[in-house]
This record gives sequence, C-alpha cells and structure tokens, in this order.
Amino acid sequence: MFQNLRQSMSWLHTWFGLVIGFVLMVVFFFGSLSVFDREIDRWALPQTRFDPQPMPSFDQVLLPALQRIEPDKADYQANMPAMHDPAKGPMTPRLALPPDEYWAYTTHRDPVLRTGVGFKVPLAKDPEAHNHIHGEATIDPRSGNTVRADQLKIGSEWFYPMHYSLNWQWKNLGVFLVGLAALVMLAALVSGVIIHRKVFREFFTFRPKKHTQRSALDLHNLCGVVALPFHFFFAFTGLVIFAAFYFFPVSQFQLKGLHERHEAVQAQETGLPHHAAGITAPLASVDAMVARAKQRWAERDMAGEVGFLVVHHVGDANSYVSVYRAGSDRVALVGEGMHFKGSTGELLHEDPPRSPVAEINEFLTGLHLQHFEHWLLRWLYVVGGLLGCVCIATGFIFFVEKRKRQHARAGSHGSRVVDSLAITTVTGMVIATLGMLTINRLLPDDLPGKGDWEIAGFFGLWALTMIHAWARSPAVALARLNPAWREQCWAIAILALNAVGLNAITTGDHLLKTIVTDTYWAVAGVDLSLLATAAIGAWAARRLARREHQHTDPRSLRDAQPNASAEVAHA
Amino acid sequence: MPEWVWLWLAAALNLSGMAWLALAMDVHWDRVVCHRGPGRRFPPIVLRGLGAAALMLGLGVCLLADRPSMAVLVWLMLMSGAALLVALVLGHRPQWLALWSFGTPFNR
Repeated sequence: MFQNLRQSMSWLHTWFGLVIGFVLMVVFFFGSLSVFDREIDRWALPQTRFDPQPMPSFDQVLLPALQRIEPDKADYQANMPAMHDPAKGPMTPRLALPPDEYWAYTTHRDPVLRTGVGFKVPLAKDPEAHNHIHGEATIDPRSGNTVRADQLKIGSEWFYPMHYSLNWQWKNLGVFLVGLAALVMLAALVSGVIIHRKVFREFFTFRPKKHTQRSALDLHNLCGVVALPFHFFFAFTGLVIFAAFYFFPVSQFQLKGLHERHEAVQAQETGLPHHAAGITAPLASVDAMVARAKQRWAERDMAGEVGFLVVHHVGDANSYVSVYRAGSDRVALVGEGMHFKGSTGELLHEDPPRSPVAEINEFLTGLHLQHFEHWLLRWLYVVGGLLGCVCIATGFIFFVEKRKRQHARAGSHGSRVVDSLAITTVTGMVIATLGMLTINRLLPDDLPGKGDWEIAGFFGLWALTMIHAWARSPAVALARLNPAWREQCWAIAILALNAVGLNAITTGDHLLKTIVTDTYWAVAGVDLSLLATAAIGAWAARRLARREHQHTDPRSLRDAQPNASAEVAHA
Repeated sequence: MPEWVWLWLAAALNLSGMAWLALAMDVHWDRVVCHRGPGRRFPPIVLRGLGAAALMLGLGVCLLADRPSMAVLVWLMLMSGAALLVALVLGHRPQWLALWSFGTPFNR
C-alpha cells in the first residue's frame, strides 16, 4: 500500500489529524480558557467580584447554608424512579428526603465557594448502593447568601466542561469522544515526529514570507515541535484522569462485587463506618475539627488551608467528618485527609502518605488540573494550549492549500467542505465564545434562566458562523481564499472590543479601575485578554485582505505558485 | 530574593539558550549576521555549548524559585516559550538576535 514507514505515517497523520482535529480544536481552545475559568466566572457574575476567601466557619456560615439546600428537581425526576423501590412504600416527596452527606469545596482563586448535599433515598431498591439525590449551592462566604443557580458560571460551568465533555451529557458520550480524540492525538503526535525525523531543524524554521502552503506547514511544525512535551503530556494526563471512567461499564458490572468488598475492607481498616447506624446523634463543632486538622498538618511540616470538607452520614451516630488540605502550593491536588468522629470530634483516622503509584497518579492528575498557585506557569499553560490550537488550525489550512488547486481543476468540492468546517471550528468557535460573553453583559442580571439564553446564543452564533463559512466558500472551489476567514476575523475584533466596552458600561469596572485605582486582576486579566484578541483579529483580517488582493493580481499569482517538490522535501 | 526575580532570570537564560542554539545553525547565523567575506564566525560547537549551558543554568534558577516538581514544569514550559519567541523573531526581525552573536557586525 505505502512505499515506506514515512509515507504510511504521513497518511495516518493527515487523515486522523483532520478528522479528530475538529474535536481537538474545541478541547485545546476551551482547555486554554479553563486555566482562568474562575476569573471568567468573576467577569460573567459581577456580584462575585471580591477577593478569594479561605473556607469560612462551618458552624456559623456553612451549616445554615447547607440546611437550606433542596434536592435538585431535575435530578429527582430523572433518578428517583430508578432508585426507589415501589414495593416498600410510596415515593418519598422531594422536599422530605433526609440529608446524608454535606460537602464544601473552595480553591485559592475562588471568592465564592461550592457547597452541596447528598440526600438519601429511604426506601431504595438496593440499600447497599450509594442512592443519593443531589443538591448544590454556591455561596458568598462572607454572608452565607447564595448565588442564583440559573446564573451560569460561564468559565467553570460552561467552558471547562466543554473542554472535557463537549457539554454533551447524553450517555456521557462527550467524555468518551474527547477520550478517543486524546488517544488518536497521541498517535498523531508520534506519527508527526516520525514524518519529521530532523526534528531539531524544524525547531526554529519559520518562513512567514513564503506562500501559504509553505508558511502554514512551517508554523504547524514549529508549534507542534516547540511544545511537544506539553502536547504529549496533556493528552496523556487527560487520559489518566479519566482512565477509571473509561472502564466505567466494566466497573458497574464485572467489577461491581469487587468494588463493594473493597469498600467494606477499607471501612474496616480505617475505622470509618461505611453504613449509617440508624441512631441519631448531634454534630459536634466542625470548626474545632478543622482547627485540629490544620494543627496536625503544621506538625507534619505542611501547614495549609482546607480545600474540601465532607460530613458523612449526617445526623447519625456513625457520622464522620473528612477534612482535606488544599493543594495550592504543589502539583498534587487536595489530600492529607483527616477524619473525625461526627458526634465527638475525636480524630479517627489520618490518611497515610501515598503509595508510589498513588503519588505518581496524583502528580500526573495535578499537572493537568493545576490547582497550584503559580501565575507564570498558568500563563505558560495558556501559551501551550494556544500553540496546540495554532498547530491544529495550520494543519487544516495546509490540508486545504495543498489540495485546492487539484480539486479546482477536477471540479471537486472536497477542499471547500474542509475549509468551511475549518473556519467554523477556528474563527467560528471564537465568535461563539465572544458572543456568549457579550450576551452575558447585554441580558439583565436577574433574568430568570439567563444561563439558558447564554447557551442558546453560544450555539446559535456558532451555527451562524458555519452557514456564513459555507455561503462564502465558492471561492475555494476556484482555488482562491475564502473571504469568510477575513470577515470572521473582523467579527472577532469587533465582538471582543464590544465585550470590554459592555463590561465597563454595565458594571463600571473599566480597565483604569481594575488595574490602577481598585485593582482586581481577575476582571482586568479577562479585559486585557479580550483586547489582545481584538488586536490579533484585526491584524489577521488586514493581512488576509492583503493576501486576497495579491491572489487576484495575475502577476503575483505566478510568483506564488508552490513548488510541487516542496511538500515532499519539507524535512 | 523574591520569586519573580528568579523567574525573570530563568526566562532570560532560557531565551539566551535557545537563541545560541539557533545561531549555531548556519542558515540562521546567516540571516542574523551578514558576512563581509571569509571572516570569523563563532564555531557552532561553542554556540551550542553556550546554549546548553544557559538552558541548564535556567533549570538551576527555576529550582531556586520553586519546589522541584513545579520548577521542572516551569523550566520545560519556559523552554517552549523561548523557542517559539526565537523562531518568530528569526522569521520577522532576525537582526534583533544580533546581541547573541556577540555584536558581530551586520548590515541589513
């Protein structure tokens, strides 16, 4: 079929890269945005624009807030029928479900914190199973007031889940598709390296003044090679994070018995009761437990803040409270759990130091999820992610450039289709993102269901960019540049500037205030990034206009003819 | 010394390392420095040695700024950023790299 390994790797890289590139573009772009997802939340929810707080007092602030949380209606309707056993009695009403688990989570970047309750299903089909209906609330730790649930946290509840699941929850297919894309990406990376054996030569080769096919390929190679460790590690650690999830079908069937035995053994070993006793008991002061935990961490030479807190078996004699240390000062995540008896506050169990395998897993996971407080490294991660985006986008451009002349001669529309899809996935996706932020500032803050409107706007705009790209694509079938690239670049510039302006008008937090007079870097950072996006969009649009002009000029068409041998000899 | 001082130093060292490694290649040296005849030019081995040394020193400085697990990540990412910057400068404004050719005269 192919003469040699290089040719077959080239085929693999081209076709697998093209198909999976559309998914990976979304993953890389929203992954880059997710580095600053909480900061984007601050921009989208102006009432949360205050400084990050450590976890507040459980007894004074969190417990009253938790007691006000109700089971989620959608969760109840979807899952109660599956868990409840009708033979044991009528279905417990939603508001009568007893709370079984309280949790609270915060990071060094969050002013507000997430809290949640797991409500027990009393008359369950399988009493051994988890059987929880969930309720969640985000609260202001200074007062205990809730942030309304239908105000979408655009960063952490839209862009971030988009990154790992494409926001496609049906049967969790989104997570599986992203996983498949990551796996194929590893193959694409390796095949890319095999194609370009002389990899160090590619390191600095970038000839921007050459014709598009050459310069696009140069930039593609450059972005791929320069951040190769980053690309490889992020695809790999992403798969490590979700590894157990991909085995989910197995863990629910073949491994289920083993899982339950493991939980029983673990409960015995740690002394932390797996089941409730059925006897009520009060909850002792959790603040005292938190203070004791912090003291123990300091004694072990790792003083820190609380990142995660869980109360198991609420109101029961077997209740225990788990306090975990936030991972802001290292690569690994929350850990060093301290577990206290709920009714007395006595320390029941301290998590032992991790085994080597667990340590490696924790490191790899933490490398990807970056809970750490290191602003330079976070920004470098954004650079790496955007390099991945440029790598994929230039891959698309090279694919089209290489084929559009022969397609034009043959009357085929292949290049036109790929080019339109590329525009939709590159500039179209950015337009949808900027549009969502714009809609966020245009709609009133107290609009019911505001989040749903923002999501509708996101997808609506994205669909419009696809229609626009296709409508303007006949030029590609004639081997010319699609004007939609330039037009969407202008749209990006205008939308980004608009968003910054709307933020200033609707919230009064303009850049002079957020940088100089009343410094608030979360919002200033988003505004500055928007301005940079606008600048790049405008610059790109002007460059494209010049190139389009060149292409219609017959003299420069002659000079711009790519060398047929260039594509084979590019190593 | 505050952390940011070390990190800026590390960034500068990584940038220099990448610049020297790039200049060790003939095609890049010629873009940055214009020859006026068979003159002296830095032997590539020296430039490569300087480049490698600068990168290693960069790692050392990163380790002074943070705990080892984070320092290694910072160093790797700074190298990527530095390589990208050198490549872009070589593509658009090669004369800016003249500093790393030790002021060898150029005309552009």
